[in-house]
Amino acid sequence: MNEQEIQQGDLAALGEEELTAFVESRRWFGSKAQDVAGVRVLDSAVLRTQPPLLVAALAEVRFGAGTHELYQLLLGVRPDGDEPDAEVVSEVDGAVVYEGLSDPALARELVHLMRGETTVQAGEGTIEFRSVDAGAFPGEIPAPRPVGVEQSNSSVVYGDDLILKAYRRVEPGINPELELLRFLTDISFPHIAPLVGWYAYSGPLIDATLGVLQDFLPDSRDGWELALEEIASDPDGFLTRLRRLGEVTGELHSALASDSSDPDFAPEEPSAEALALLTATVDEEIEQVFLDLPETDALEPILGRGEEVRERLRLISHAGAVGRVVRTHGDYHLGQVLWTGEDWVVLDFEGEPARPLAERRNKRSPLRDVAGMLRSFAYVASAAELTQGTAVPDDWEERARAEFLEGYWDLVDRTIVPHGEDGRAKLLTVFELEKAVYELRYELNNRPDWVGIPVAGIVRLLEADV
Amino acid sequence: MSEASGSWFESDPLWFKRAVFYEIHTRGFFDSDDDGSGDLRGIQEKLDYLQWLGIDCIWLLPMYASPLRDGGYDVADFYRVHQDYGTVEDFRNLVDAAHRRGIRVIADFVMNHTSSDHPWFQESRTNPDGPKGDWYVWSDTDDRWTEARIIFLDTEPSNWTWDPVRGQYYWHRFFSHQPDLNFDNPEVQEAMLQALRFWLDLGIDGFRLDAVPYLYERDGTNGENLPETHEFLKRVRAEVDAAYPDTVLLAEANQWPEDVVDYFGDGDECHMAFHFPVMPRMFMALRREDATPIYEILRQTPHIPENCQWGLFLRNHDELTLEMVTDEERDYMYSEYAKDPRMKLNLGIRRRLAPLLDNGRPEIELLTAIMFSLRGSPVLYYGDEIGMGDNVYLGDRDGVRTPMQWTGDRNGGFSRADFAQLYLPPLMDPVYGYQAVNVEAQLRTPSSLLRWLRRFVELRKQHPVFGLGSYEALITSNPRVFAHIRRYEDDTVLCVHNMARSAQAVELDLQWFDGMTPVEMFGRTPFPKIGTLPYLLTLAPRGFFWFQLREGEDG
Repeated sequence: MNEQEIQQGDLAALGEEELTAFVESRRWFGSKAQDVAGVRVLDSAVLRTQPPLLVAALAEVRFGAGTHELYQLLLGVRPDGDEPDAEVVSEVDGAVVYEGLSDPALARELVHLMRGETTVQAGEGTIEFRSVDAGAFPGEIPAPRPVGVEQSNSSVVYGDDLILKAYRRVEPGINPELELLRFLTDISFPHIAPLVGWYAYSGPLIDATLGVLQDFLPDSRDGWELALEEIASDPDGFLTRLRRLGEVTGELHSALASDSSDPDFAPEEPSAEALALLTATVDEEIEQVFLDLPETDALEPILGRGEEVRERLRLISHAGAVGRVVRTHGDYHLGQVLWTGEDWVVLDFEGEPARPLAERRNKRSPLRDVAGMLRSFAYVASAAELTQGTAVPDDWEERARAEFLEGYWDLVDRTIVPHGEDGRAKLLTVFELEKAVYELRYELNNRPDWVGIPVAGIVRLLEADV
Repeated sequence: MSEASGSWFESDPLWFKRAVFYEIHTRGFFDSDDDGSGDLRGIQEKLDYLQWLGIDCIWLLPMYASPLRDGGYDVADFYRVHQDYGTVEDFRNLVDAAHRRGIRVIADFVMNHTSSDHPWFQESRTNPDGPKGDWYVWSDTDDRWTEARIIFLDTEPSNWTWDPVRGQYYWHRFFSHQPDLNFDNPEVQEAMLQALRFWLDLGIDGFRLDAVPYLYERDGTNGENLPETHEFLKRVRAEVDAAYPDTVLLAEANQWPEDVVDYFGDGDECHMAFHFPVMPRMFMALRREDATPIYEILRQTPHIPENCQWGLFLRNHDELTLEMVTDEERDYMYSEYAKDPRMKLNLGIRRRLAPLLDNGRPEIELLTAIMFSLRGSPVLYYGDEIGMGDNVYLGDRDGVRTPMQWTGDRNGGFSRADFAQLYLPPLMDPVYGYQAVNVEAQLRTPSSLLRWLRRFVELRKQHPVFGLGSYEALITSNPRVFAHIRRYEDDTVLCVHNMARSAQAVELDLQWFDGMTPVEMFGRTPFPKIGTLPYLLTLAPRGFFWFQLREGEDG
């Protein structure tokens, strides 16, 4: 290992084992269940050349079966003795390599680069930093602090002004979040945190979005937290807010469907087999989940009922309509909306991170988002009982659904949803079933204590009138 | 704020080795403008379906301007799309939309010849001393190169045809309306490269190079696989590598494997070539209930460079070709698979997969499984994923090119045009007709062939071993069983297939894998651990098992 190299930000000297151990221990590393064969840096760029250095790297994680995934690393490099307050990747000959986003100076550097619209040369490609309006940045970038721990990305908040989201899992093509934020910022859609800047890698290896910078909304409340609180203190008051959320959601879908001249956003007529295609996809997911369901008490109400669930799906999707397909939020629930004190703002347009990017960009019925939010009401009611012992009124979820839907139908562009109440209800049920099955799989893998929520959702759908 | 979106793929010069290809006859896929003929926009409208199916690459039959006397392999203009199919702009849009879904697109490209309608040929025949006078192969006599066989035996008496306009014979290895280009002329070579660049610049991911063995003619040879041909293909490859990374050249050379391997060069010619002889042998092994023909042809298959791949298929847009079998084997295939003489065409059988196998679901699954398990990239033919039938009463190869059956509605959901306007009638018979066999119905039926195939494609994508791994034949105690091992990195897969129509038991010598647990790959069911004794498996009639061999787990 060469002291000079690592101190100049050349990561080639990093040991594969240390790198592997670091990546595997990250919250954002999504494939923990897979057997990792190794990690190596494919390309990197020194983003800050004065110590402490900031290096952005594309790391390839290889799995035993021969597949691989790419991840974005943001690493700091300091001389020995100047210990960072951050997770250390490696200490090699005179230098410490560590998690760069945990270092305020380095996190700030990313914003400076966007404001400066800088293009940095990497080994093979370039990293381009861009801004929507370079004049709109605060004069001094306030002190950064890391926030939350997320499944597939890392976020940093700068004072009360800005929030950066760095995507860890790197996939080819523009990230739908950048695409949607840019579109909605362009048309001045009021219910988002406007896009301020972004950065992206392009080179022979891959073209990919690495991160986005948005306005931070300091005094706003996360929809999930607010729901938990108000379900206990003012359940009826919160229903009014949900009606407004329905309206905002309707406006969001109408806005996303508003430009028929842009092929990436123009609403489209679904093909003749679209509903069958959707049914097949959902059915397949049901089958996979039921294939090796563990025999626990929490799962008891649905054990052995896989065929029944599939039969129900066939029944509700037998005849129906899809309406038109548009770009959607893709992973819509209470945790993705903020109450600013006056109104709702929608966040996180990446789509479900577990699905491939090409799939997340697909146009779909907007009712898929609606179903996601409806499922979220079931979740929050159960969570209020589970985590804080709140006695939630029996009819709260039903009323929440009704309020939200009323607001939604009022403001959504009617041409993009199926005609007629029956068609809309059936399509919603299909999407809710899809969502509940997705939740079931997620909870089984991540939070076994919570499986009761999707189980109850599936039972409800089994027992509802068709 | 708009900027070029760049590429939608991670760089991968070997993508084609892990890919599943899907062959589309544009005219027959989907009609977007109600004129009775499928078109490029129609394919674009069906990309959701193809993405769902999980295929990696679309292969389009020729979509160029053409009088269509040979399904478009008679190109009249390399720079235009056939008017029925749309425009060059439609093509660009299709490629872009496919890329956005992670699907690549390659298309047929015919280098050997053009249509006699091509302006080049018209100029060549009318102006022998003009700039294109030497672009085709002209002769005063029709007695040169008699060693070259006639390919379209049923229609062509000779490889020479008299042109009354120029007063000379011209050379054609295929139909007489498809004069061969003269590759000895450097201008012809340059013209071909230029046409290739035109489509590459539009974003195409590669070409299936049609009829490549026949580019040159030389005295005393049969005019196939000549050194000059390989030299030119190497030049094409060098151009592609230099300017268009991650492009694939797929050679159509219906030749024996030992000749086909030459088209890979030293990894510096074509990336892929079809493995023609393995296909009839799979059908033969099935009918004889004996795995020997498959083992044998794979034993005779030479090694190919690491950066190359075989293309594997069960059926395609042509007849099931029987050029690469012995006379005796051919008689056997005709007697078993072409009982009606109308089913024969040239040296082959013009039928689709399902009717060839008497619509037997276990047989279709078994042959598909074998194809997916072998070294190579599978190529699916549109419609075979739902088990479409054929129509032997239609001429030439039209019987296997009928409209895709999307729904049970009018015209099978292929077109809203009047029935009489359709380029060919859709199948309407009670067994294979669109009311019985269509995409929509099979999407809704969990046990359908289509749903089964999609799971298969998905599994293959999760295991690069099928595209990249080594192949080791397992000789078993039972000749009715075809078994082999594939290995890549830490992944080891055991594939066992029963060719017989009766249940079979087989003992496998797996002592190398002592202590490992076979886990069935579709149901994720662990089987008993492997020990030092022969491993006993029982297989259902035409049944098969694929196992991942895992270290140490308890069964």
